[in-house]
Amino acid sequence: MTAPAEIGPASGKARDRSIALVVVGVVLLMPPLVGVSLVDGSIAGMPIPLVYVLVVWVGLIAAAAALARPLRSGETIDSSESANDATG
Amino acid sequence: MLSVNTVLAVCLGYVVLLFAVAFIVDRRTRTRRLGWLNSPVVYTLSISIYCTSWTFYGAVGSAARNGLEFVAIYLGPTLVFVGWWWCLRKLVRIGRAHRITSIADLISSRYGKSSSLAVLVTVIALIATTPYIALQLQSLTRSYQVIAGESDGVATAFWIAAGMALFTILFGTRNLDANERHQGVVAAIAVEAVVKLFALLAVGVFAAWSLADGFTDIFADVPAEVVVGAGEVFGARWVVLTFLSATAIICLPRQFQVTVVENIDERHLSTASWLFPLYLFGMTLFIMPIAIVGLKVMPAGANPDLFVLTLPLSAERHELALLAFLGGFSSATSMVIVATIAVSTMLSNHIVMPIALRVLAAGRAVSGDVRALLLVSRRVCIGVILGLGFLYFRLSGGSDALAAIGLIAFVGVAQFLPSLLGGIFWRGGTRTGAACGLLAGFALWAYTLFLPSFGGDVILSPEVLRDGPAGIAALRPQALLGLDGLDPLVHAVVWSVGVNALAFVVVSSLTRPGALERLQATVFVDVYRAAGGAPSSVLVGTAASEDLFLLARRILGDGFARSLFDEMAAAQGRSGGLPDPTDAVIGRLERELSGSIGAASAHALVNRIADRQSLGMTELIDIADESQQMIEAAHEFAEKSAELERTAVQLRAANERLRALDAQKDEFLGQLSHELRTPMTSIRSFSEILMDEEGVPDQERRRFVSIINEESQRLTRLLDELLDISRLEGGSIDLRLETIGVPEAIGKALDAIAGTTRDAGVTVTADPGRAGLRVESNPDRLRQVLINLLSNAVKYNPAPQPEIRVSVNENGSMVDIDVADNGGGVTHAEAAMIFEKFARGDRSDRSYGVGLGLPISRAIMRAMNGDLTVEFAPDGTSFFRIRMPRADP
Repeated sequence: MTAPAEIGPASGKARDRSIALVVVGVVLLMPPLVGVSLVDGSIAGMPIPLVYVLVVWVGLIAAAAALARPLRSGETIDSSESANDATG
Repeated sequence: MLSVNTVLAVCLGYVVLLFAVAFIVDRRTRTRRLGWLNSPVVYTLSISIYCTSWTFYGAVGSAARNGLEFVAIYLGPTLVFVGWWWCLRKLVRIGRAHRITSIADLISSRYGKSSSLAVLVTVIALIATTPYIALQLQSLTRSYQVIAGESDGVATAFWIAAGMALFTILFGTRNLDANERHQGVVAAIAVEAVVKLFALLAVGVFAAWSLADGFTDIFADVPAEVVVGAGEVFGARWVVLTFLSATAIICLPRQFQVTVVENIDERHLSTASWLFPLYLFGMTLFIMPIAIVGLKVMPAGANPDLFVLTLPLSAERHELALLAFLGGFSSATSMVIVATIAVSTMLSNHIVMPIALRVLAAGRAVSGDVRALLLVSRRVCIGVILGLGFLYFRLSGGSDALAAIGLIAFVGVAQFLPSLLGGIFWRGGTRTGAACGLLAGFALWAYTLFLPSFGGDVILSPEVLRDGPAGIAALRPQALLGLDGLDPLVHAVVWSVGVNALAFVVVSSLTRPGALERLQATVFVDVYRAAGGAPSSVLVGTAASEDLFLLARRILGDGFARSLFDEMAAAQGRSGGLPDPTDAVIGRLERELSGSIGAASAHALVNRIADRQSLGMTELIDIADESQQMIEAAHEFAEKSAELERTAVQLRAANERLRALDAQKDEFLGQLSHELRTPMTSIRSFSEILMDEEGVPDQERRRFVSIINEESQRLTRLLDELLDISRLEGGSIDLRLETIGVPEAIGKALDAIAGTTRDAGVTVTADPGRAGLRVESNPDRLRQVLINLLSNAVKYNPAPQPEIRVSVNENGSMVDIDVADNGGGVTHAEAAMIFEKFARGDRSDRSYGVGLGLPISRAIMRAMNGDLTVEFAPDGTSFFRIRMPRADP
């Protein structure tokens, strides 16, 4: 058997942040919070509910891209794992 | 309207391009020159088969009818990919470590390589996928009819299906390498992904800035209902749609295929985590504007599902319409090709091959060319699946009922979710639990959503839909147990996924997993801990290397098998020939084989080759259990014998004590009889003289009688004392304690003994302590002890000028009365035995007393919570100390 993979602090943080990002996304996009966007009016010509959903969506994508960057620059993805296994 | 020939020519050219891409990439893969193809962008683009023609055409229709709701279908996958660390990464790691070929393979592998589970998942996947394929055929046909004006929809659909079958067979079953990857196909669908995104964006830009004057113009006079839909847009349906789409991106067989099976490098996921959501964002950005412009521009009654195509057509922009058609064509074909590959892999590995192997091999080790058999079975399965899709399309007559089939398929594959997530995160999930969950979920899905979707034409009649079977209202398919007022989709998801998850968890917790299940549960849940995956079985027999090589060659192909075995031989340090059939080799081979034919079949085959001498995990675990039990038993035994040893030591000690006590008792009895005998002898002899001899003078007679009297008194006293000491030591006397003054008690004792001291000429110095010093004691008994000590001091004092000193000391909660004399005291050795019964110091002669005074005194003091000890002064002289508890003031 190979030695257990090392736990890199950076990737552990990346995992936590990525999970936090999902939580933020769910909270912002699911009722009741998403309901705050149901107001009349428009931003840049688009209705506010549509703008709200698209802006949150772009925010999630940008955050995910920012989180993925340190992984591309060198760090191996193999550095794993503790917390989400423990829950399993 | 374009001419049929133009459309066909463009289509044909496009298809030739796809074939060329797939062909070139396939060849480069085999020569291992992947280059840029091995990039995360290609991987991400292949995942975009999520966007089928249902997205390409249907999303606009959905936006036109229900407003913003369609966005939820893309938010779910976004959330899953953004949080890829949690679930996708684990799935990919498991898929790579265990050479998983499909979602059915994953679930079957996880639950002990169960072939029945694999069959169940395959059947559900097939039933959910067939209408979905039919839907693609339908939209292809309709778009073709719109753009080319062709009317014979069925013939069109047939040729489309046939063309896709050809493509899938050519590139989907080209190579059966150990990974079940199809680089050629992936490259082709990546091209298609670019085409459909580009087409949709082009139509969007055209609609927004050519047909309208930017977003402000589009949304200027649009009522709010158009944007947010008629009902409550962010309600239960919104949540359920997001959940379903998040589930589908994991559980749809085709998504599993591209995301997990086709994954070359785990790091690609980190790019896909943001690039794929970005792709979805690009696909949806113009959906809403196109829908609104379409509603404004197109004549009332136009089908909004085809706005993407009809908007450019109505504006006479034929090249744009053709691009849009190609986009729709790309969306549909890529989905159909990958879905067919995925489902045919399942069908072939889990249903066709096991049956074929059983029939052909009939118990013997594998005979015949398995590789050829496998390829044929794959190809037949592809044909069957596309044929089923076409048949479904034909039978449903291209009805509008198909439009909802996308979501129905989502709910169908969502039934995999509990077993899948439970399998990779929870060790407790069992095969029975997974089977129960899947069956219950599947049945409820069919009853509440799938069958009702036919509107009463298939199995469930309209009456049953309205009133429930046999008029039982509680069993109405769309209001089960009276759960009324819900959207049918929400209703079906709540029931099927809810009951599925519940059954999975409850049954899993009630059943015990088998040995292999337990093992697989551990290696799946802890996949990050064991790189490469643990061998699933250990063979004790001699699986001959030749046989294994033969098997590998038949399934993996000659070249790959040879290089695999060479590699394994090299790893064992052999320069040529076949590797020894070690556990590692067999485990590796089984994993490689499972990449082609699924874990359950590979497991069965390798075991069969091993001449059934395999030691199944069951036995292994049993052995392990047994030795564990033996270790426990040995441990218990060791503990017991240690305990026994301790007991023996205690027994020996107790025995020693008993012996000592016995000797003491013998000695005591000897002493006692001696003590009794002396007075008895004198009593007897004097009484005999008085009886026998005549003429004893009166004076003599009186003396004899007084001797007899004295001796009898001595006897009585002795017996009384014996009785007293035995009562005191046995604790059967309850001495009544009172609060008494110390000086008074000492004074009384000295008074009582004053006569004796005066006679003996002893000087008594008493320091009776401060007035008011009180102790808890029995006054009579304390006096008895004091008198005993004082009289001893008088009797056994050999000094010419005998002196006795009595002093009182307060010592915390206790009060000490010390009695000392100038007779020299006792030695340390005597001090140890002075309190034994019948013992006397050397100073004593045997003329008086029987040696019970000190033992009695000590017993009295102890019975009164005090003590009587011999203490030694610094100058070496000894004295007696009475210690008593002080009375509270």
